[in-house]
Amino acid sequence: LKGYTKYFGTKFIWFVITFICAFILNFILPRLMPGDPVAAIVARFAQGATNATGVQAIYQRYTELFGTNRPMIEQFFIYVRNVFQGDFGYSIAQYPRTVADVLKSSIWWTMCLQFPAIIVGWMIGNTLGVLAAYLRKGFDRVLMPISIFLSNLPAFGMAVILLVVFAVGLKWFPTSGGYGYDMIPNFSWSFIWSVIVHYQLPFWSIVLINIGGQAIGMRSMSIYELNADYVKYARFLGIKDWKIIGYVFRNAMLPQVTGLALSIGTMITGALVAEIIFSYPGLGTTILSAVLGGDYPLISATTLILSLMVLVATFLIEILYGFIDPRIKAAQSD
Amino acid sequence: MKRLTVILSILMALSILMGACAAPTATEEVAVVTEEAAAPTAEEEVEPTEAPPDAAAVAAALPRNETLYFNGQQWGAVVGWNPYSTSMNNAMTIAQQDNARVLMFETPYAYNMLDGQMYPLLADGPFAWNDARTEITFKLKEAAKWSDGTQLTAEDVAYTWTANVKYGTNVGNNNVDYIEDIVAVDPQTVVVKAKLDEEGNAVNPLIVVAYLSSNYVIQKAWTETLEARVGGDATELMADPAEDVVYSGPYHKFFADDSKVVLVRDDNYWGQDASMWGKLPVPKYLTHTIFKDNAAGTTALKAGEVDVSQQFNSNVQDLWLVDGLPISTYLPDAPYGIGASLPTAYYNLKAHGLDQVAVRKAIAMAVDYPTIIANAMTNQSATFDQVPRSLMNPTPGEQALYDQAVVADLQFAGNDVEGAKALLDAAGIVDTDDDGIREYEGQKLSYIATCPNGWSDWQAAIEVVAAAGADIGIEITSNYPEWSVYQTVVTASDQPLPDGYDILMMWSDGAGPTQPWSRIRHLLSSEYVGMAGNWNGNWGQYSNPDVDALIQAIPTETDPDKLKEIYTELVRLYLTDVPSFTLMYRPQSFHTVNESVWTNFPHADDGTDPPVPPLDLMDGWSVAGLYNLTLVNP
Repeated sequence: LKGYTKYFGTKFIWFVITFICAFILNFILPRLMPGDPVAAIVARFAQGATNATGVQAIYQRYTELFGTNRPMIEQFFIYVRNVFQGDFGYSIAQYPRTVADVLKSSIWWTMCLQFPAIIVGWMIGNTLGVLAAYLRKGFDRVLMPISIFLSNLPAFGMAVILLVVFAVGLKWFPTSGGYGYDMIPNFSWSFIWSVIVHYQLPFWSIVLINIGGQAIGMRSMSIYELNADYVKYARFLGIKDWKIIGYVFRNAMLPQVTGLALSIGTMITGALVAEIIFSYPGLGTTILSAVLGGDYPLISATTLILSLMVLVATFLIEILYGFIDPRIKAAQSD
Repeated sequence: MKRLTVILSILMALSILMGACAAPTATEEVAVVTEEAAAPTAEEEVEPTEAPPDAAAVAAALPRNETLYFNGQQWGAVVGWNPYSTSMNNAMTIAQQDNARVLMFETPYAYNMLDGQMYPLLADGPFAWNDARTEITFKLKEAAKWSDGTQLTAEDVAYTWTANVKYGTNVGNNNVDYIEDIVAVDPQTVVVKAKLDEEGNAVNPLIVVAYLSSNYVIQKAWTETLEARVGGDATELMADPAEDVVYSGPYHKFFADDSKVVLVRDDNYWGQDASMWGKLPVPKYLTHTIFKDNAAGTTALKAGEVDVSQQFNSNVQDLWLVDGLPISTYLPDAPYGIGASLPTAYYNLKAHGLDQVAVRKAIAMAVDYPTIIANAMTNQSATFDQVPRSLMNPTPGEQALYDQAVVADLQFAGNDVEGAKALLDAAGIVDTDDDGIREYEGQKLSYIATCPNGWSDWQAAIEVVAAAGADIGIEITSNYPEWSVYQTVVTASDQPLPDGYDILMMWSDGAGPTQPWSRIRHLLSSEYVGMAGNWNGNWGQYSNPDVDALIQAIPTETDPDKLKEIYTELVRLYLTDVPSFTLMYRPQSFHTVNESVWTNFPHADDGTDPPVPPLDLMDGWSVAGLYNLTLVNP
């Protein structure tokens, strides 16, 4: 265990260093973009104003409020202080909404769409990959081209196909929104059903794209594993097929687990394409418009959450590997 | 068989897993939004005079036969309901403009862009100028009440002005140079005092009149509550979401989240009095679905989930001609709507060569406007053959304000490549080094035409402008910065435009009580040159003292013949100097309606008197359309 303490200690120090760098970059990078976001607020107040001094006064009022007139280093320390108090300030583009309010209203939609979609896509893709590698022949010949097709289809292409076929054509599912266009959110079965129905197309548009890539990766890894000596030995011993698939799956999925962790870490950025095509609520379009509008506080807050989630996910994976990967275990006990 | 069993069992396991994943998701979402659903209930507490249904009472769905659905006005979630603020992103209820939106807050008069008249709303009868034209007096309707049941008085009108000026709101800033004060003579009588020039005349009577139909009356008592809440701080005052606001209009907040905004009718609305509408507006609920792009909006319109669409629907005629849907526009044929504003390409008049009239006019002459109108606007604009270019929008009222014959020689309707070449040749601007590009004073004529990225119809237009350059030996390339960058650069009129902004596209005013004067001022007045945050116009920084003098003279001129003379002269100077050129005509609002549930929407020649304008039943006099709607299947 002593070896492990050193291993985890090193990983943790790197985690902290990376976090500090990410924190600083999250603050600086948005502010290096051209354009003056405060001008967008002033625009709303100054539309049609002919009084130049009046416009200038408005501009000063809001640069003061957002602190964009102060030196960058001073802005940074104010930012640090506020963030540690849990205050991300006002969103510039959606002023006077606070960043917390903007995130709060859409983050759940994103999480609830992305998390299950990533997990389901990952599981189906990997299962199909193992099966293709093991069963070969007909199954593989059908699955491989389909997987290659799916993984290369752009996300918007898949979303549009699903929309046109299942919503516009067959009318099985609604075309847009997170719940019925004629509904007010409430705790009733008809509303819950509406949410489930509206969930399907955005969900499957993400899942189907995920499946292809996962299946291809898992198939290659599994073929490699299937040729390993332990598999041949297991076959000689007459061990049942499903049990061998189980061994192969566990060994081949190590790199896939890393990919899964990163996908979960980055899911906060939202399913931009699904959100746009299906007008589904969520953070993706919020972040996009924040980036385009130079909304520093909102960009910094979302990238900070993103960095933190990716860092935590990779840190957890490192720890997990420490226990499950025999090579690391061996290295630590040396 | 064994393998098949393995596959089947795995697939079954997966389907169970997926089922398990999806259901909790939905439930979690419900938990989140239910919190928000509590908002309308909270709002009811401030409306003691009525008991509107709350979200729970309406059960799961809004009754289709009582709900009118909109799209294209609201993008992104509503921030608040504060009429003093321009930052509420509340498109359904807060828009103090030429045709002010009067669903929740009301103006004394409602402007009708079709006949140019102002009709009394809160006001009782027409307003009157005094003989010196320095003061306007108008009365308020006895019946006008606030949502809390109290009387709407002249004191409210006066205090609204006081607060707007005191806190430097958009309304205050825009009018403080023209209005001295607004006072209550008695509870029903308001006097608006114009700011006077050195000779004792009103600085700008047009703007004083426009105030009456462009700006809301806000309750004094509520304003005082707000002031107390924010401690008199202007920034705080305009950032307050004002969930407790008192209003006078027929609708108010019912529900709002990231997906939609729902307004509910106030069944105690004062306007059902015989002195105003005599009844309540027909739809009980007005719902605006928030889509993330136009494509989703069009799909919903086709599906009958949107009744009134204020967005650009490409090839709108296909919706009824090809798809056979019960969808229509204000006019049955192209241009389908009433053009009101003039999206315009401004020249950077300080760029090399663009300081030459010949170059400016040649480019403008060579541009293929029919292609812009056919492609960028899918024919939802009149052509320049139908409505020759001027400073006027295509409405008959504005067209009658100038003498078309006088400027006929100066007209150009596009695609005149030979004419443009001849003009350049005559000015001695020729290609001297045979590289296909003309030179002026030894330097190549090479420009960048620009508009904001993602504004697809404008980008299509800019591409056509760039192509015109190639035809006449002027190199024009296109570039599309993000709006956040573009707006910062273009509105900095205190410095010359930088490289990359040689030909830039911006808007012009639509239809309103100060038009076409205000549009001309924004297109041509030199008062904006040197302004740091210029959100007015003349972004190419044109300066002509003759034009300035004419613009100055219009607001105080009352003789129609003299006015026509001035307007004609302004058009002549505009077409001679070509400091900018209009690329298309654009409607004030897009107004496409689906008549599968509701019918009797405003259409051209629908027999309404006064005519109801196609402004989505919410702007200015178009709100009258809400009282005429009927159900297709009652």
